[in-house]
Amino acid sequence: MTTPEDAADRARAAAEPAPPPGDVARSFERDLAGESPPDELLQEWAVISVDPELVYSSRRGGAPLTFMKRALLRLMRQYTAEFEAQQTRFNLAVLGRLRELERRRGE
Amino acid sequence: MTRVHQVTGAAGRHDAVTGQMLAYADLLGGWGRAGGMHAVRIGPAAPAGIAPLAELAAGPDDLVLIHYSGWIAGMGALLELPQRKALVYHNITPAKYFWSVHPAVAVICEVGRDKLPVLVEAASATAGVSSYNAGELRAAGAPDPQVVPILADPARLAHDGAAAEDDGPLVLVVGRVAPHKRPDLVIRAFAQYQRLHAPGARLLFAGAVQNPPYQARLEQLVDEVGAKRVRLAGALEDDELGRAYAQASVMLSLSEHEGFCIPLLEAFYADLPVIARACGGMPEVGGDAVLWVEDGDDIAVAAELLHLAVTDGDLRTELVRRGRLRAQEFAPDRVAEAVRGLIDAASA
Repeated sequence: MTTPEDAADRARAAAEPAPPPGDVARSFERDLAGESPPDELLQEWAVISVDPELVYSSRRGGAPLTFMKRALLRLMRQYTAEFEAQQTRFNLAVLGRLRELERRRGE
Repeated sequence: MTRVHQVTGAAGRHDAVTGQMLAYADLLGGWGRAGGMHAVRIGPAAPAGIAPLAELAAGPDDLVLIHYSGWIAGMGALLELPQRKALVYHNITPAKYFWSVHPAVAVICEVGRDKLPVLVEAASATAGVSSYNAGELRAAGAPDPQVVPILADPARLAHDGAAAEDDGPLVLVVGRVAPHKRPDLVIRAFAQYQRLHAPGARLLFAGAVQNPPYQARLEQLVDEVGAKRVRLAGALEDDELGRAYAQASVMLSLSEHEGFCIPLLEAFYADLPVIARACGGMPEVGGDAVLWVEDGDDIAVAAELLHLAVTDGDLRTELVRRGRLRAQEFAPDRVAEAVRGLIDAASA
């Protein structure tokens, strides 16, 4: 009989190496890699561009609601595009300033 | 008699903290001390009886009990209330898990952890739902945090007793499908188990997926690793979840962060063997009744543990026996006494 205390050791002894992670699997690890995002990711985040697919209803049978929400977004597109642009302008300016500070510190 | 009003940041239909607020309300009602239930943000399908925070009408001697799991804009009004406050800390997932996947949630988590010391200072008594959570409260400045475990009522998962489908072992994963729960590792471990031991095995995720893009990535991963019969079922109603526990062969959790983990208790109530990663508050809940995966273990170890837990009858029997004993430690009447202790301490 395998006791709960023995089970992990038995499993470790029997474990065959798992296949190496593929590209998708690696992408999950990359997301959690560190507290501080790498420079290229920071650059990507600075440019605000919200995918309308992120707007949806979480209710069961919420497809009509999802449709309405996305239609509303389309109607508001002129406003949200301006909002995104202004936020991106600020983000990129701050990012540029940060890089400049890092460059000066490195001199 | 002093009434106890409960407040949380966001209330939702399948939200564990909202569930605790409802369970506390039943207790408080039995003691003749029930006040209102309030939330800053109320989801469209949230349970009835939860009112906006702005409608909180507490008397000067009443107590405000805050269930805290993240900072929602508007919670600052709580700090202005003159009433005594009790804080129940359900833990907050570190924001790093969400920055890439769901930035809005990451902000709630990041600010939530920053604000914890402020709430601790405002409360006259504090409690974590596990010793692990109480440790975080202590680090945030709480002088003597209590431990008030989760109030889990097995009757909630009552179902019509449908027979298990004899269609290959069912591996069950319960809880929100979110990055810190590492569903990606679960899928990879399951794929290995299915490939080596049980081609007919099934994997069922019972819980809301973080958002549609995250679901699409998980579905891509299922294809990439060649797993079959994987189902992301979304949040299940209580009876459906009860049926899933009854039909499952084993529950698997490879989560990296848990303040308590209610599904552990639910699995014990359902006589279901559990394999889990020993993280956060889980070891103190699961004790010796869980097959623990260590941080350094490869997913292949989890796959072998699945095989053992499904096929070794003696091992299953022993895990079920131990699980029943663990569940008794968290019996509702015991937890009720801890709740009463917290309220008394906050009211004193």
